Amino acid sequence: MPPRHLIIGAGTAGLNCIRTIREEDGGASEITLVAGERPYSRMVLPYYLDRSIAESHVFTATPATLATWKVKTHIGKKAASLSPQANTLTLDDGTTIEYDDCLIATGSRAVKAPVPGADSPGVHSFWTLDQARAVIAGIAPGSHVVMVGAGFIAFTILNSILSLGATLTIVEIAPRILPRMVDDTGAALVDAWLKKHGVKILAGATLTRIGDSRGKKRLTFKKGEDLLADLVIMATGIKPHLEWLQGSGIRMNHGILVDDRLRSSVPNVYAAGDVAEGKDGVTGMPAVHAIEPTAMEHGRVVGANMAGRDVAYRGSLNMNIVEVCKLDVASFGAWDDPKCEAFAALREDRSAYRKLCWSGDRLTGAIIIGQAADVWTTNDVGMLKGLVQTGVRLGAWKEHLRRNPSDVKPAFIASRTTARLLPETVLGRPSRAPELPTTVTR
Amino acid sequence: MKVLKLVPEKCTGCLRCELACSYMQTGAFQPAKSVIRVSPFEGHTSYAPYTCTQCAEGWCMTACPVGAITITAAGAKDVVDDRCVGCKLCTIACPYGTIFYDADTRKAFKCNLCGGAPACAEACPTAAIVYAEAETVDWLADFAVERSARLVAVGGR
Repeated sequence: MPPRHLIIGAGTAGLNCIRTIREEDGGASEITLVAGERPYSRMVLPYYLDRSIAESHVFTATPATLATWKVKTHIGKKAASLSPQANTLTLDDGTTIEYDDCLIATGSRAVKAPVPGADSPGVHSFWTLDQARAVIAGIAPGSHVVMVGAGFIAFTILNSILSLGATLTIVEIAPRILPRMVDDTGAALVDAWLKKHGVKILAGATLTRIGDSRGKKRLTFKKGEDLLADLVIMATGIKPHLEWLQGSGIRMNHGILVDDRLRSSVPNVYAAGDVAEGKDGVTGMPAVHAIEPTAMEHGRVVGANMAGRDVAYRGSLNMNIVEVCKLDVASFGAWDDPKCEAFAALREDRSAYRKLCWSGDRLTGAIIIGQAADVWTTNDVGMLKGLVQTGVRLGAWKEHLRRNPSDVKPAFIASRTTARLLPETVLGRPSRAPELPTTVTR
Repeated sequence: MKVLKLVPEKCTGCLRCELACSYMQTGAFQPAKSVIRVSPFEGHTSYAPYTCTQCAEGWCMTACPVGAITITAAGAKDVVDDRCVGCKLCTIACPYGTIFYDADTRKAFKCNLCGGAPACAEACPTAAIVYAEAETVDWLADFAVERSARLVAVGGR
């Protein structure tokens, strides 16, 4: 009997897993996909919001693709409970599915600040496609949008909201914006830039309730004046879908604890993406990196292992990039390690900031901020990622970078980073193009 | 597979490759849009061209959330403009720093080997860029180590 793979979740991790299984086995196994929603990419929803792409552009694997990949689907169904002893999953409609191995890739959901009125009409999250549709329907030119939360996800839709002709106020409970993406200096620079571009920012503001006031939403704070909004978006964090695994016996901390093959404490149950707590490639410690590249790499490694390969994952690299009002903001790796040695260079006059974090003569993290129009801002951003990813020893180049933190290219080339990178692949073989494998014939 | 073989010792820093590349890729002579970039070494006494290796992993391609980067018949990873939404994820996923974002088109762009007839190699007057059947290696490291030894040792320019 062919092996029966069960994939729970059709996000980046789940679909990359399925694709990789098919790349490896050409269609020899049985694959069943359980997903609460039709597969789409959350990463591109900001571009749907600003109408630069049509809704059809957000969908990833269509029903036709999944049929060609020979995947049995349960779309619109949620996983209700897992029984690793019996190797079965029960769905919310009572259906039971048997598996030989299974991937938990159920992702995260948006959580709202726990204040009265958070669930009232006109208060939105922006995480799922349905939520995006609701925000689109609610914003008109001239609308005043209040965004609660000033993290990465909030910032990914900042340009879109402004481009729709809305005015924007950002409210953040922490004393500063982007608390988990850049350091204090970087945040101050972004803060000043946004204010200069007409975005109001209230940091250190504790929201206490959201009420209604003559067709508008009224936000009340612990201190200070109320705000009136046509639409409120709560970007106050995400939380992995793990509750349904209570009682399954699978070991969890912040996420499902996985080994370097992405196996949970139950060997034939894998976890990937936002729900997985796996190795951080820089620190070597377990971490949840709820980002697209980690979900993609996790999913591919699981797919290869499910298909009978033995692929170890080198660990994920935390990284984010967002552009707000033509200011690029990016960070990598262990930029927030308080114990690391750091070089920082601030050019306030041109809104440029760069921080390089070190462990000995190895780069462990970086922050890059600068105007998108200044080509030098992100010209070498990938090379910084390469240096962090390989952990190459920079020797005397470290001192050069202390004096010239933007002169990364000669350091990258002369440290032979290219030679280190060329043989490096996630799956131990060249990657395939994203078009579906044409070898699914069996 | 035919690859761009770089011979930095032969590079004179004339930037014809950048002009040819940008013209082929965008229809205008604008080195800012070139995806091959010449770097100076040793205080502008020597130069080296640098571009995408078309690496086996294809970090840009696998990172793309909408499958907008694919492999062409020439074996190059190439951006499909109609699919690219301009999220910039590929620009931080590429560890070589060889995929860029064009603010005018709001798309990522990179070396696609000009469909199998790279304009840079054709334009190079000294054969510092050669399109040839070869295994891609680290073409520049030895050159860069030698040419930057003084810079690193002296600690200044």
